[in-house]
Amino acid sequence: MLKITNLSKSFNEIIALDNVSLEINSGEFFGLLGPNGAGKTTLMNHIIGFLKSDSGEILLNNNAIKYGDKNIRYKIGYVPQEIALYQELSAYKNLKIFGSLFNLSKKELNKNIDKTLELVQLTDRKSSAVKEFSGGMKRRLNLAISILHNPEILLCDEPTVGVDPQSRNAIFEMLQELNQQGITIIYTTHYMEEAERLCNRLAIIDGGQIIASGSLMDLLNKLDSKETLKIHKTPESIELYEKLTKISTINEFDFKYELIPNKDFQKYSQLYKYFEEIGLPSDLIEISRASLEDVFLHLTGRRIRD
Amino acid sequence: MKNIFELIKKDFTRFVNDKTAVLLTFLVPAVLIIIFGNIFGGGGSSRGKANVIFVNKSNSEIAKIIEEKLDSSSSIRLVKKYRIEETDSIAEFTEEKAIEYIKAGKHPAAVVFPSDFLSDTSIAMNIKFYYDPRNEIESAIIQGGIQQTIFTQLPQIFPALLTRQANEFLGDEDGEGFRNEMADIVSSYFGVPKDSILNFTSSQISSGLSSEETSDSSSGSFIENLIKFDSVQLVGANLKNPQVTRIVGGWAIMFLLFTLTAIATSLFEEKQEGTLKRLLCMPVTRTEILLSKYYFSMALGIIQLMVLFVFSWAIFDVDIFSNFLNLIVVIVISASAAVSFGMIITAHATSISQANGVATLLILIMSAVGGSWFPTFLFPDWLQVVAKFTLTYWSVEAFQQIMWRQAELSAIYLNLIILIAISVIFNSYAVYRFNKGNIF
Ligand SMILES: Nc1ncnc2c1ncn2[C@@H]1O[C@H](COP(=O)(O)OP(=O)(O)OP(=O)(O)O)[C@@H](O)[C@H]1O
Ligand SMILES: [Mg+2]
Repeated sequence: MLKITNLSKSFNEIIALDNVSLEINSGEFFGLLGPNGAGKTTLMNHIIGFLKSDSGEILLNNNAIKYGDKNIRYKIGYVPQEIALYQELSAYKNLKIFGSLFNLSKKELNKNIDKTLELVQLTDRKSSAVKEFSGGMKRRLNLAISILHNPEILLCDEPTVGVDPQSRNAIFEMLQELNQQGITIIYTTHYMEEAERLCNRLAIIDGGQIIASGSLMDLLNKLDSKETLKIHKTPESIELYEKLTKISTINEFDFKYELIPNKDFQKYSQLYKYFEEIGLPSDLIEISRASLEDVFLHLTGRRIRD
Repeated sequence: MKNIFELIKKDFTRFVNDKTAVLLTFLVPAVLIIIFGNIFGGGGSSRGKANVIFVNKSNSEIAKIIEEKLDSSSSIRLVKKYRIEETDSIAEFTEEKAIEYIKAGKHPAAVVFPSDFLSDTSIAMNIKFYYDPRNEIESAIIQGGIQQTIFTQLPQIFPALLTRQANEFLGDEDGEGFRNEMADIVSSYFGVPKDSILNFTSSQISSGLSSEETSDSSSGSFIENLIKFDSVQLVGANLKNPQVTRIVGGWAIMFLLFTLTAIATSLFEEKQEGTLKRLLCMPVTRTEILLSKYYFSMALGIIQLMVLFVFSWAIFDVDIFSNFLNLIVVIVISASAAVSFGMIITAHATSISQANGVATLLILIMSAVGGSWFPTFLFPDWLQVVAKFTLTYWSVEAFQQIMWRQAELSAIYLNLIILIAISVIFNSYAVYRFNKGNIF
């Protein structure tokens, strides 16, 4: 449905997108995962025709999306990363103002507004000024505005930033419901857990380049091991740091060491034996399923949020 | 097109929702017009005249004519006598006594026609004006009133003067040279183009003091318009509140500039709030957004001016209806020029605070220099020249002519052309900047 080929974009000397190629299929919940400044928003801005690329092309159902292309905006909904609302007006007026730009009949627009308010659970607050809303409510309204015109594709640019867990869950459920109704969703985030939770397929973007893409399984398969071994940092374990480096490569986090064991220590039995020898308390050891975080680390040598 | 309309509706909704903006657009200007209207012109029928001591030491005929006219002036009352306390008697003011009174703060100002009010060799009028700087505003009004009276009596005074002087002292041969000299003086005194004075034909000159009839001639020259106005003034009919008329035009233009600049700079606000980008990610083009701002500003500007004029009619009896269609034309063209001012500020600024700062400064300067606050004829020559470089000047003057002198559009075509030119040039440049730059 959406095919991006060799898309590049620079802002002066900053390369925001570097030869990006991606294909997104109809009905997918596609995740775009990357750290700050990776180029996620820039990519979205090209899909909606807000920015002009330096080279490359984007096809929507085999039609090229051009800069400033009005027609594609009827098909694509865009949830901007920043909350973009008329703060002094009511939620209802905001919906009305933005919704009226899509050539919907009055009746249809009103119907969609009611339906959407219901979906984002703001029906009883529709007359309040947006500035009186909580962060989570603003985020939900921010999203609601983007789906009034029944788009085929919904671009969500980090729609859960600064949102409490309750609102975040509500947003997840809303998006999944929309996806089930057949709307293709492209979702950017730098929260690995979100991407894992929501997306059938994802791409990892860093420094303007797509460094990996595929299903969660595809990405996890890039790791040597499906599990990670971590040791919580305590005064005891910190003291044993030197000894741990003898059997593994260590990635240091704020509160944990991640151990990537050497060839001779691939088995847990070997590892535990060594830990016992050097006197590492076993309750500091944590073995968990590998995550996208680990994939990112593996591919870039960095963590996604530094 | 439909979207432009929706965007205008959006701006309107936002405006109405913003109580402060509404107050600043309608109520504040209205209140200021009341205050200043009362200071300068007085309200309705109860308005008072400014008192000014008057001493006429000249025995020239012209001085007498002017004194008579000042006596019947609607804005000034000449005080010629004073009471001597000790003897409880009334005496005529002398120049010395007048100075004493002003120094003592008993009167704001005095006008003295000295004995050399008109010298034999020159036709320039010498008038002495004494005033107390503490009463600057009142002095300005008095001075303005006197100048206005002389100015409007010009066609009556100068023909008389000319025929008298020319015949008595110069004879036919030098008449032409004298006319030239006089034109120079009149032109420098009153800012009237010399040509229009010279075009003041001999037939009109010979009609001299009974020049009211000539007011019907329609060629539209400056002097002829003066004659026309003059006759209106003499019967004292139409113009009930001359000072307020000026004030309304002046303040209205100033607030128009503020309002419309605020609308234009709201583009920055929309950029900051992210709503501008949001709109641009919907089926809306940059041009549509700009046009909607433009149309909304125009509409709001026109409404604001209308409201203020209707208001001044209701409160001060300012005559807005006898020349209503022409007034509308000037309103629309002034609004358009003010919009373009806002647009160019927005196109050039890098942030909303910069835009507002620069706009406020420029608007205040333009208002002061361009005649929003004080009539420009009170200004020194050089400042009168500077005034012409402000948008305010051309707009205020146009309102003046329309409402005060009931002028036809042909009399203010230059004002209109300049205002339209400002609109076209500023707007084109702003659109060029918007579409080219990465401002928004
Ligand atoms: N308008 C712009 N002018 C100059 N540089 C820009 C502009 N927009 C983006 N960039 C740069 O392009 C790079 C990618 O930015 P982008 O906003 O796409 O990142 P992102 O992945 O969305 O980051 P975040 O997670 O912080 O939102 C950054 O280095 C950014 O500084
Ligand atoms: Mg971003």
